[in-house]
Amino acid sequence: MLSYALRTLIRMVLTFFVIVTIVFFATRLSGNAVDFVIGEGMTTEDRDLLIKYYELDRPIWSQYLAFLRAFTDGQFGLSFIERRPVSEMVLERIWPSTQLLLSAVGLTVLVSIPLGIAAAIWRKSWIGSAVMVVAFLGYAVPNFVLAIVMVLLFSYWLNWLPVVGNGTALHFIMPTVALAGVLIAALTRFTRNAMLDVLGQDFMRTARAKGLPENAVILRHGLRNAGITILSVIGLQVAGLAASGSVVIEAIFAWPGIGDLLVSSALRRDYPVLQFGVLTVALAVIVINAAVDLAYAWADPRLRHTVKG
Amino acid sequence: MLKLLLSTALAAGLASGACAQEITVGAANVSSYLDPGRDHSNVGSQFYYNAFDTLIGKNHDKLEAEWVPALATEWKLVEPKVMELTLRDGVTFHNGEAMTADDVVFSLNRMYQADFPPYVVRSRDRLSNFLKAEKVDDLTVRVTVEKEEPLWETLLNLQQVMIIPEDYTKALTGDPEVAEHDDFEAFSLAPVGTGPYRIAEFVPGERVVYERFDDFWGEKAPLAKATVQHIPETASRVTALKTGEADIVTNIAPDQLALIEADKNLRTVGSATPLFHVMIMNVNHPKLKDPRIRQALSLAIDRDTLNEALWLGKAVVPSTHTLEEYGDLYMPELKTFEYNPEKARQLLKEAGYDGFEVTFDTHPTYYTNGLLAAQAITEMWAEVGVKGRVNIAEKWSGRSPEMMTRNWSNPMYFADPFGSFGVMWAPNGPSEGEGRFNTDAQYAEIWERFRFSKDVEARKAAYAELMERIRQDPPVLPLYRPFESWAMRKDVSWAPKPGHIPYVLDFRAGSISFASN
Amino acid sequence: MMNPAVPAPSAPAAALQLWRSADAIQKAAIVIGLSLVLLAVLAPIVAPFDPNSQSLIARLRPPLGFERAKAGHLLGTDELGRDVFSRSLFGLRLTLMLAGLGATLGLLIGGTLGLLAGIVGGRTEASIMAAVDTQIAVPFTLVALFLLAILGSSIEVIVLVLGLAGWEQYARIVRGEVRRLMKLPFIEAARAAGAAPLRIAHRHLLPNIVSPLVVQFTLALSNIVLLESTLSFLGLGVQPPTATLGSMVGIGRDYMPTAPWIVAAPAMMILLVTFAVQILGDWLRDGADVRLRAR
Repeated sequence: MLSYALRTLIRMVLTFFVIVTIVFFATRLSGNAVDFVIGEGMTTEDRDLLIKYYELDRPIWSQYLAFLRAFTDGQFGLSFIERRPVSEMVLERIWPSTQLLLSAVGLTVLVSIPLGIAAAIWRKSWIGSAVMVVAFLGYAVPNFVLAIVMVLLFSYWLNWLPVVGNGTALHFIMPTVALAGVLIAALTRFTRNAMLDVLGQDFMRTARAKGLPENAVILRHGLRNAGITILSVIGLQVAGLAASGSVVIEAIFAWPGIGDLLVSSALRRDYPVLQFGVLTVALAVIVINAAVDLAYAWADPRLRHTVKG
Repeated sequence: MLKLLLSTALAAGLASGACAQEITVGAANVSSYLDPGRDHSNVGSQFYYNAFDTLIGKNHDKLEAEWVPALATEWKLVEPKVMELTLRDGVTFHNGEAMTADDVVFSLNRMYQADFPPYVVRSRDRLSNFLKAEKVDDLTVRVTVEKEEPLWETLLNLQQVMIIPEDYTKALTGDPEVAEHDDFEAFSLAPVGTGPYRIAEFVPGERVVYERFDDFWGEKAPLAKATVQHIPETASRVTALKTGEADIVTNIAPDQLALIEADKNLRTVGSATPLFHVMIMNVNHPKLKDPRIRQALSLAIDRDTLNEALWLGKAVVPSTHTLEEYGDLYMPELKTFEYNPEKARQLLKEAGYDGFEVTFDTHPTYYTNGLLAAQAITEMWAEVGVKGRVNIAEKWSGRSPEMMTRNWSNPMYFADPFGSFGVMWAPNGPSEGEGRFNTDAQYAEIWERFRFSKDVEARKAAYAELMERIRQDPPVLPLYRPFESWAMRKDVSWAPKPGHIPYVLDFRAGSISFASN
Repeated sequence: MMNPAVPAPSAPAAALQLWRSADAIQKAAIVIGLSLVLLAVLAPIVAPFDPNSQSLIARLRPPLGFERAKAGHLLGTDELGRDVFSRSLFGLRLTLMLAGLGATLGLLIGGTLGLLAGIVGGRTEASIMAAVDTQIAVPFTLVALFLLAILGSSIEVIVLVLGLAGWEQYARIVRGEVRRLMKLPFIEAARAAGAAPLRIAHRHLLPNIVSPLVVQFTLALSNIVLLESTLSFLGLGVQPPTATLGSMVGIGRDYMPTAPWIVAAPAMMILLVTFAVQILGDWLRDGADVRLRAR
């Protein structure tokens, strides 16, 4: 288990380094920041002045080295546009995003695991069908359409829920549901399939044959075994959502989160913010994935012994 | 006078005593930094007037220029090229410091003799005639120009020369005795001015919170607090107004107006903003070198139909690059641009247009109706046989040699043709500097006459000559003055004032009030 | 409505049998799916207008039957006076094409790499999985944004981006399944007997991972349809005036309070497409799953 954890750790570090490098060069390839930061209508003289001021005239390898050095001395630089430390800009946005993410995942787990199990158990009856139809429909609506329809319905017409920011618990309802919609659909479906896989397996039949009550069979054996798949799906989905799923929702609800910051700094080519932001998100995702991997290994001892590398 | 002051003071006292008036504004865009000197964006112009003052003020209730005392109480030319200004006594900055001649000299020279690159850039396109500001005594300042200046008041009323505190700024970083670049960077996150509101909180890109500044030198602010909150999505902005989370919202597209007007608790106000949405054409693009091709592209665009369709007819389609705000220099009699598809077809034929594709670049969202207009324009080109294609990109393509045509705006940075056409299309100005517009010695000579003639008629004649040059070899077509709208609760009384530059959110005394109910 | 049960000429009997084995929801999904595909294929014939032809004087007209509707425009007109019905049909056509190509591309890339990783192991596996981790850890919206910024948003680039959007999921699934299967007695036996890796893959692995792959493929199809609309929301999708379902919804969202019909038809089509695809995917999975069939 320990060496497995070590390998996971090394992989994490390597992945992180690759991402750092890709992000650095991809941002530089996609256009000169000056054309975005400074924008329109400028003489060549003025433009050169600003390029120099923002130190964009240095050769790319020297910028890269400076960028790598930032990791050792913790100076990640200033935003081109807001002219304040990027670490400050990114860090102040992590918590609102995390809150939203956690509430969406919480809602998802609460709703979809029971639904998925129900759909698996009553696969042949109308209950299973109904659950799946709802789940599929949930999956089929783009989250921003769901969000705007909710905004129009609950805020515009009914005036029940606020739409701007993250001030109170009420503010969480619509963004959470909008984000969770797709997750619920996906997880319900995976839970159902995982349960079906498990229900058909020999040890379940054995358990039943031993005369255990059906509920116990399902909960003790079925869920435990299906749990591995379900866990990894949750991990994947959370990681995906942490990475980019919430961008659109944050824009609609003026949520001061990191997705919004990343996209706007990418559109404006605010390299320092973008780099630090992507790295922060990447780090979070890598950690989540590693945690899922380890949990996976813990839950399925066979994996631990797999020879690797 | 005393009576007036008393009654205002009473009214102000009542307003703040009865209920502390607070409002929230839902804005489509919020600035990433706040420094009136380096900024000339349409986003930034919303914010400065509440918190900063210029030396010479303007009566914003009027379209034409009427200069009024502000931080300077008097000004006169002491020499043809030297203006002496007497400063108002007893002005206090938001941080408690008293404003002195030193602060004024510092603020002006940070632009006139700029070495902080963002200031240099802003200064060069409009303040290059200004050499220096000097202190005479604690309440007297002299400003010197290079050539005799016909636009003294106009250029001392600019947002870029609003007054900021010297000691505060210098002490922000590093050596407190020296103005370093980092001081100006820090200032733009913690701005301090002399206006009726202080900026109590600023989260770049998210929120600006104003609070009434009780030591303001003029009439006290009508609001105790005003929060401008970023709400990027249109549907969310409108909804926030409806739920009461916002009292005013900005940037309502014409297509949304009916929806808001239908609500008995809400209303909208709007105006044809003093700026032009324009189409620019790259005169140096190999395929567009022949002026007849560009003339044809311009003649093929039915701007009145664009106005009817996209702006409900509320935008203003100009016959030339002129705005009503220019006063004496408003010249609607010039006919520089027109719609004439017949002539367009003929010119295309003469020029031997062979069906090559003409691209029209646009940002996806920056200009209201920008993408729609782009698509409509290419469709209008198709009517005269030009194959157009819309090319959407976030990136500013105006400097690219491959750019053929694109949209842009020419805002009125100040109320003079120099403040719009003059900034953008000067010899060696931004357009020429980006390589999509050429000038020659003759153009420069005309421009010089237009810029510096002291006689209004001479300036007008020179401007007409410039417009004729533009007509013959067009690099630009002003499409319209867009009609910009704000929506608010019915009991809020606010409207954009005619004397402002575009998009100013003016919450000073006399600009906003509330119905009694 | 077209006759949905038109059997494939090559195997009419099998198709008929399949149809009979479907329950009501699955039958509905088949009908919906086939109708949508048919509509997409026939769009140039069915659509009453050129999808890009504008009429500025007839903007934002509601569907027939509502006040101010304009004759001929069944589902109304959009913000430039274009026919919403025609645009929806052409949008459906392009969206299905993009989704199909994107999902296939992802399957090919991810499936191959996953198989390779699972069978070969060692360094190959380590580097492939590192690539997977990298892809997962970087916000995909940003990957798309950069690719589109560097390469331009042509249809080809968008297909590439959509294809790249899901490859790592296939790779993870395939590798995971392969590693699970490789330890099963019958494959270990085959390996011990000296069977070549390719043969093992072909004979033993592929049939067993079809089921999760089909599920993933259907998920990917609908994911891609949704992703395309998200890119359009951010202004990065297929360039106007060309319509896709996603771009119609993404661009039309500003009109949802005032002219909901612009969004309604394409959103409904997105819903139907993903709905049908997923039901069918699920059904295929159940049908293909040996263990389930044995029950």
